[in-house]
Amino acid sequence: MIGRGAPGTSRGVAHVDMPLLLGIATITTLGVVNLYSATSAYVDSTRHARLADIYASQIYWIAIGVVLGFVVSAIDYRHFERLAYFLYAGGLVTLGLVFVLGADIRGASRWIQLGSFSFQPSEFMKILLILVIAKYLHNDPKTEPRSLVDLVPLGALTALPVVAVMAQPDLGTSLIYLLVAGAMIAMMKIRRSSLIWLVLFAVILLPLLWKYGMHDYQKLRITSFLDPEADKTGTGWHAFQSRTAIGNGGLFGQGFMQGTQNQFGFLPDQHSDFPFAVFAEDWGFVGGMVLLSLYAFVCVWAVHIASQAKDRFGATVAVGVGAMFFWHAVFNLGMALGVLPVVGITLPLFSYGGSSAITMLMSLGFLMNVSMRR
Amino acid sequence: MTLLVQRSDVGEFRRRYRWLALVVVCAFLVLAGRLAELQLVEGDVHAAQARRNIVGEITLATTRGVIRDAYGKVLAANRPSYNVYVVPGDIDLEATWPRVVKLMGLGDSERGELEKRILTQRSDPVRDKQQMLLKVDVDRDVVAALKTHEATLRGVEVSPAPVRYYPYGELAAHLIGYMREIDPETLSRLEDRGYRAGDQIGAVGIERRWESYLRGQRGSRKVLRGRVRGTLDRDELEAKYLEEPRRVQPIPGRDISLSIDIELEQAIERAMRGQLAGAVAVVDVRTGRVLAALSKPSFDLNVTSGGTGKKAVRDAFRRLYADPLKPMLDKTISAAYPPGSTFKPFSALAAMESHLLDPRDRVDCRGGYEYGKRYFRCTGVHRNVNLHEAIVESCNTYFYRLGEVVTIDPLAKVGMDFGFGAKTGVGVNPEARGRMPTRSWYTRRYKGFFRGGYSLLAAIGQGATTVTVLQLALAYAVLANGGTLYQPQVVRSIETSDGTVVQEFPPRVRRMVSVDPGALALVKDAMAGVVSEREGTAHHAALPGVDVAGKTGTAQVSHVTPRGVDKDRVWYFNRDHAWFAGYAPSRSPELAIVVLVEHGGGGGKNAAPIAMKVVEAWQKLKAKRLEARVSIQPSVKRPGSP
Repeated sequence: MIGRGAPGTSRGVAHVDMPLLLGIATITTLGVVNLYSATSAYVDSTRHARLADIYASQIYWIAIGVVLGFVVSAIDYRHFERLAYFLYAGGLVTLGLVFVLGADIRGASRWIQLGSFSFQPSEFMKILLILVIAKYLHNDPKTEPRSLVDLVPLGALTALPVVAVMAQPDLGTSLIYLLVAGAMIAMMKIRRSSLIWLVLFAVILLPLLWKYGMHDYQKLRITSFLDPEADKTGTGWHAFQSRTAIGNGGLFGQGFMQGTQNQFGFLPDQHSDFPFAVFAEDWGFVGGMVLLSLYAFVCVWAVHIASQAKDRFGATVAVGVGAMFFWHAVFNLGMALGVLPVVGITLPLFSYGGSSAITMLMSLGFLMNVSMRR
Repeated sequence: MTLLVQRSDVGEFRRRYRWLALVVVCAFLVLAGRLAELQLVEGDVHAAQARRNIVGEITLATTRGVIRDAYGKVLAANRPSYNVYVVPGDIDLEATWPRVVKLMGLGDSERGELEKRILTQRSDPVRDKQQMLLKVDVDRDVVAALKTHEATLRGVEVSPAPVRYYPYGELAAHLIGYMREIDPETLSRLEDRGYRAGDQIGAVGIERRWESYLRGQRGSRKVLRGRVRGTLDRDELEAKYLEEPRRVQPIPGRDISLSIDIELEQAIERAMRGQLAGAVAVVDVRTGRVLAALSKPSFDLNVTSGGTGKKAVRDAFRRLYADPLKPMLDKTISAAYPPGSTFKPFSALAAMESHLLDPRDRVDCRGGYEYGKRYFRCTGVHRNVNLHEAIVESCNTYFYRLGEVVTIDPLAKVGMDFGFGAKTGVGVNPEARGRMPTRSWYTRRYKGFFRGGYSLLAAIGQGATTVTVLQLALAYAVLANGGTLYQPQVVRSIETSDGTVVQEFPPRVRRMVSVDPGALALVKDAMAGVVSEREGTAHHAALPGVDVAGKTGTAQVSHVTPRGVDKDRVWYFNRDHAWFAGYAPSRSPELAIVVLVEHGGGGGKNAAPIAMKVVEAWQKLKAKRLEARVSIQPSVKRPGSP
């Protein structure tokens, strides 16, 4: 399938980026195995028996994601460049639909139900945001440092989905949008005075966001992170148990499916928010370092691919995908390790979730796409 | 078309890649450093916390020691009961809790209150995994229901906690004592001895004094907490995660055998039925052991001990403390009363010891005695009486004369020799000291002013003289045994739960009282006359075949009516106390008995018959036991019984 997409422009099977493929394959495999360990504790649980089987559905999602990823990598990315604005507009409309059709889960409407299948448009929007920003940068003729005015269209492109997602409310995803867009925009030269203005804006905006833009539970996550002793029941408790689980792993870990924090049910949301705690408890420092290295490798490799890209669109897409992968990994790992507040950001290819897994694999398909067409 | 679009310049980005890679590497280095910190540096701390998470400790209740009477009859024991605990950190408030509420049939207000307590403890990271007492002594049906669903009720524990049970209810209640829930102040003092909130602790009597022996030591069992998969072998997991010792056996409390004879108590209770309030003490004159002590009115130990629920306890105490007859007061030990004429034998001994009065000398009683400007009344007109007749007929005039001659200090000296005015050292319940006034006491009390009349009053056991029922019984025991003042004992021995005697308490002599044998013989002869002679004040109460010697007393009370008494009932509280103090049998005494009927009126008429009945009952009991011992070999005898 690879290499058959666009004859003449593709470099074929021989040009598949093997290091990237191997890295992703390893992480994905470990992720499924870890998910099995994470949810094995739910076997014969009366209330959560469903969770014990989610590793199987995760395999289906990954299969779909892999297929879509290969499809994406097979089509020359310049076709996507052409369609970027349309795709972006379509994505925004779908995000809007969430408020109309959305299923309410834990006080937030993030999902759209299609038959027995529900998906999260905000996940796929990440890719569309990367494409649209890449497209804008690609077509931007300027070479001199950008002023604030030059950044306004980019800001608008980012702000639309950010606002839509925050209204769901989903702080984590909007944060990812901002950081990914920021990383891509940072590729350009920006006037020093404009940078200072941007920082000033941020400083003014943050307290306003705290006061008007955030829900109480979101604030609680931040405060409980800043003062872990204050709240040992809710979010702070989760973070505490996560640190305990990781520490309990020691050098070599407790062994596969032997971590007591996980097996005895002291890790909350271990399949979505804290898969790394499960992994580090089972496999210890040795296993944890292997996984960290794999994530770091994929991120660095994305930068490498970007640097090899033949045009601005390819380079910025690679940076965008790399940034998305990076921020997801860093935020989730940081939260599990207790260096960042608990925000619902998934660990790429480890956390359970169809939309998330498919989005990740598809975006990595774009990375592969750029890599194959340098 | 795609390929023809202007190629944007990638050169602008070139310098950024290095920075991006650097950011990535730095970020992951920070994460790796943190991973190393958690797993390598702090690994032990977290591993210990993880272990604490899954290892729980279940308390194994101990059984409190049993209290028995001298013949092995159980006075205080334990009956099975179950307490329900929750572990606030483990219980699921949405799923499990409502089921628990339903199974236990909790009311709305009770539920709300408990829920609040659970939430409070849950938010405390130190105590959230500690058991919290939900309810004590739940019904058997509830226990059964909870036990059935135990597997699915995480964080709920039903554990047996025996409740104290007193088969004899009100009998000898003050002496045996009851249990109460430990209060925060006591708890803070005793926490290092293993007491916990909600524990029961002896409140009064033997239960309190011998708490440390009776209590025992609770054990514990380590258990795995949290959600354990059914597919795993629980035993294997326990072997893996639970450190030894996994079980610490509880040590049952020591059993205590008293010197009390509960059947004698029953007889006393029957004999006292006609009276509202009073006290009886019976001691063995040869050992000082207390054979019976009864204070009336009494209260049901099963109620005060909480066996019928907390509300019943509160109501009971409110009622008991409001009662002007003072049911909570141990009138044998904790209260002092004027002894009245029961003190006369000691006055007589004082007179003979000082040789100021010849027992053969006669005093002419014409119904009173003139001293100074005052006229001291007698109970009647006794004509010419000598010492013997004065005791037999309880002539006050004779003793006024005696008091005048002997004066107060020698009287007080003899009184103190016999143990008045000082604690007996019985060790159970707060002891009243009583008062043996001396000249200096009066001088101090009345600002340097002493009247000779005080000596006269002291000689007949009135004035400022007060004694406790137990003091009087021990003093009469001295008269009976010829001069040995014993320290009263209530406990005979301490045993382990399997019956091995750990400690026995031999009689303890407090002091040898020097009495002139001739004088003592005279007094004892007179005391025998009190019952046996036709003129004797207790003669009407005498029962055939009951050989008692003693002295009646009718003590005037100070006219202070307790608060809260009905106007119509004031007359009762102004009535004299009726006394009888004596020993039996009169020739070779074995026991000393004191009967006090509060506001009972004349001692001969009201107290003496009770004493006679008690002694009669004691004789019957003795005969019965002797017969039993002859007919059956004492093979199943409990240790501690004679």
